[in-house]
Amino acid sequence: MILGQLVDNLLSWLFVLVGYTTPLGIIFGLIGLTGFVEITRFEKGRSLYYQLNPVTKIVLGLCVTTISAISIWWIGGLLTAILALSFLTLNNGLRKFVFALLLTTSTVVATVQGFAPYTTTLTLQEAMHVKALHTVWVWPGYFSYMGFQHTLTLESIIYSLQISMRFTSIALASLILVLTTTPSGVIRALSKFGLPIPVTFSLVVAMRSVPRIFEAIDTSMKAQFVRGLGSRAHPLIRPIYYVEALISSIVPVLVFLLRGAKNTAISADTRAFRAYPKRTYAKPLHYTRADRITLILLVSALIITVYAATHGYGRGIPYVG
Amino acid sequence: MAHVVVERRQRASMIEPAVVVKGLVHMYPGRGEPALVIDELVIGEGEVVLVTGKSGSGKSTLVNCINGVIPHLFPGDSNLDPSTHSGEVYVRGLAVSKTPLHILSTVVGTLLQDPETQVLNYDVEEEVAFGPENLCLPPDEVNRRVSQAISSVGIGHLLGRETYTLSGGELQRVAAAAILAMTPQVLIFDEPTSNVDPEGTAVLLDFIRSLKGKSVIIVEHKVERVLPFADRVILMDNGRIVVDTPASTLLDKVDVFTHYGVEIPESYEYAKMLGLNTTDVQQLADEIRKRGVPIHQKMRRKYTQTILEAHLRVFSGERELLDAEISLGSGHILGVMGRNGAGKSTLLKALMGVLDRKLQSDVHLSVCGVDLSRGNVFERGKYITYVPQNFDLTLVSKSVMDELSYSPKKRGLKDWRDRVNELMSILSLEEYSSSDPLALSFGQRRRVALGSALAAGVKVALLDEPTSGQDFAHREALGRELSKLAGLGYSFIVVTHDSRFAYRHCDRLAILSEGRIVLEGSPEKVFENSQDYGVPPPTEFDLWRRLGEH
Repeated sequence: MILGQLVDNLLSWLFVLVGYTTPLGIIFGLIGLTGFVEITRFEKGRSLYYQLNPVTKIVLGLCVTTISAISIWWIGGLLTAILALSFLTLNNGLRKFVFALLLTTSTVVATVQGFAPYTTTLTLQEAMHVKALHTVWVWPGYFSYMGFQHTLTLESIIYSLQISMRFTSIALASLILVLTTTPSGVIRALSKFGLPIPVTFSLVVAMRSVPRIFEAIDTSMKAQFVRGLGSRAHPLIRPIYYVEALISSIVPVLVFLLRGAKNTAISADTRAFRAYPKRTYAKPLHYTRADRITLILLVSALIITVYAATHGYGRGIPYVG
Repeated sequence: MAHVVVERRQRASMIEPAVVVKGLVHMYPGRGEPALVIDELVIGEGEVVLVTGKSGSGKSTLVNCINGVIPHLFPGDSNLDPSTHSGEVYVRGLAVSKTPLHILSTVVGTLLQDPETQVLNYDVEEEVAFGPENLCLPPDEVNRRVSQAISSVGIGHLLGRETYTLSGGELQRVAAAAILAMTPQVLIFDEPTSNVDPEGTAVLLDFIRSLKGKSVIIVEHKVERVLPFADRVILMDNGRIVVDTPASTLLDKVDVFTHYGVEIPESYEYAKMLGLNTTDVQQLADEIRKRGVPIHQKMRRKYTQTILEAHLRVFSGERELLDAEISLGSGHILGVMGRNGAGKSTLLKALMGVLDRKLQSDVHLSVCGVDLSRGNVFERGKYITYVPQNFDLTLVSKSVMDELSYSPKKRGLKDWRDRVNELMSILSLEEYSSSDPLALSFGQRRRVALGSALAAGVKVALLDEPTSGQDFAHREALGRELSKLAGLGYSFIVVTHDSRFAYRHCDRLAILSEGRIVLEGSPEKVFENSQDYGVPPPTEFDLWRRLGEH
């Protein structure tokens, strides 16, 4: 009896641990911070994505977000698959495709961990249209202090998997914009959407800073490992120390970036930044036939999805009606 | 001080003023003392002025008052007290405080110290076009200015390159072109070579030297490199101008510059001592020999026992980045030098086991007789430690004492208190033990980073460019600290671009070129041929060699 409870407790904690550490293990162990830099930085290429007008790519992101949000889960899954496969067309496509898959897997696991244990029976019954739920695991009673439901059900796992399909498609569409558009291209596209230049420029500086941020975090974390963080831990437990190192790196990295931000501000403002509400551009942005076709396809898909959703074909998750 | 004012007024009456500073006082918010007090300063059209002084002397504050960053971006504390920013600066007749920054930016351009943070755009052409585009110039005019600026700086070969792929020197030249595209008549270079390797420094300074007809203000620690083309030298200390003199008369005031912590070549000091009006090294050597003046021979620690031996090979796919054998003596300081991209940082990271994951490595490493070839960073960290160039990123604790005790605690050591106290004492950190490390001054933070790296009892430390961006006083302080620690049995591998630091403080040098060690030995031996690999010897060495030739 006592042994059984002990095993149940250990297994429960193991599930929680695996749930929390797997996404981190994928990100730090398989993608790595330098891999993150690779999938968050523009590189030149020749395929369709690189030739599209940035406005078209922003519309792509908006359409994917809207379609995933209002349609049934498998539409999001389908979009995820299509977008992930399209990474193969990018410069160094296979490597980026693998990173995209790993990132998608990490997002799925994190979403399941974030939703499945916490979703109430009532929500699941309404969302999944079932009365009886299939219990997979019973959590120890004190897990309720962490917000856990009493049981982990098959429906809760399926439900959270379905929710994850929204996040994955949106994340991949956003990455495509970042990977295939220069920061100045993003500025110009966002300006066309009416965003003021200081706002768009902040986004661009943020985009350009992403690799620098990852490099700084990487340096700070490695410095902590050099100084002994996690050195006495079993290798299986080390992902926890990656989290500790990551959290500890936040303050020095922020201070480091803020010191650099002063230079960035001086550099921009001493070159007439914000002199006028608009800017001119040395190179014109082209709007090609490929843009027209892509926009027609995207807008068509959006209209069909809105029509279908409002007429009861394919409902969104979580269930609201 | 009177002679300073007289000289200044004489000069001002002779030339058309490009910059006029009158009664300027600036105080930063929360500070009790003004950071800058300038009664009068005039810089003429086409004049090249070197502004020097140790860190915190007010050099950057002065140039920020000229380019309008102060008061437009950083207004001081004038809301609380109008006296915190008073006086006026005029640039080509425009009153800086009353002229919008974007108009000033067409008159005065500024190149900053850190190329990484001042380059904002993705590719070279976009970066150069950024300013003219902000001015809403027609695309044809923008393109014309971009072509002209790129041609002036000589970076045509960088067109089409992504800015994140450029070296520090290349980035600085792109940033310079971006400023030239604004067509300013006054150019400010605020420590432009601090983060650039010697070859990049030479190219950048050649460019500055080539500027004709523009007024140039260069804030720089490397006085020796700028003097040949400077018309005038201004020495600052504590926010005030201490010396304002024609460059040709600098020799007379060498002792003043040295007193205020400015890096002056040893040859200048000998010239002053001998009463000679030349800095020609050969003439000085002849005179020193003739007069029998004693020369300070650099003392190198003897190589007794090897503490670290390694053979490192690093690959990126098929490409070999590094193939180097290295050994370090106990209590020794080994300097590693070479061009940007020669493999210096890769060498340190391979030793420490913190290489980028996309690189492959084959490492044979033994430290203190222990084979660490298969050890990861956790195991190697028991024997060696590593301080990256951006050492601020290593400071993760709330107090200096916590920072120094971080490593021994994480490693579960018991007898660490004495060692931590000893390091606090050696590095003069005792009075800051409860201070937040990130709130300390630059030099103090560097000492905390070094102390915390050594606190777990490791005897070998790898330091990646610890001299970068530091003034002479800080570099000398670092050299003294390392020497003191070496005397206590600590050993160091120091990657540096600073030939003078290497000559003064390292026991041995290794020069890396294209991933291989091409020269190794005492600094005297290595500097004989280091120029061939992009490492110019310091003038101190040049003087010593000429003396030794006879």
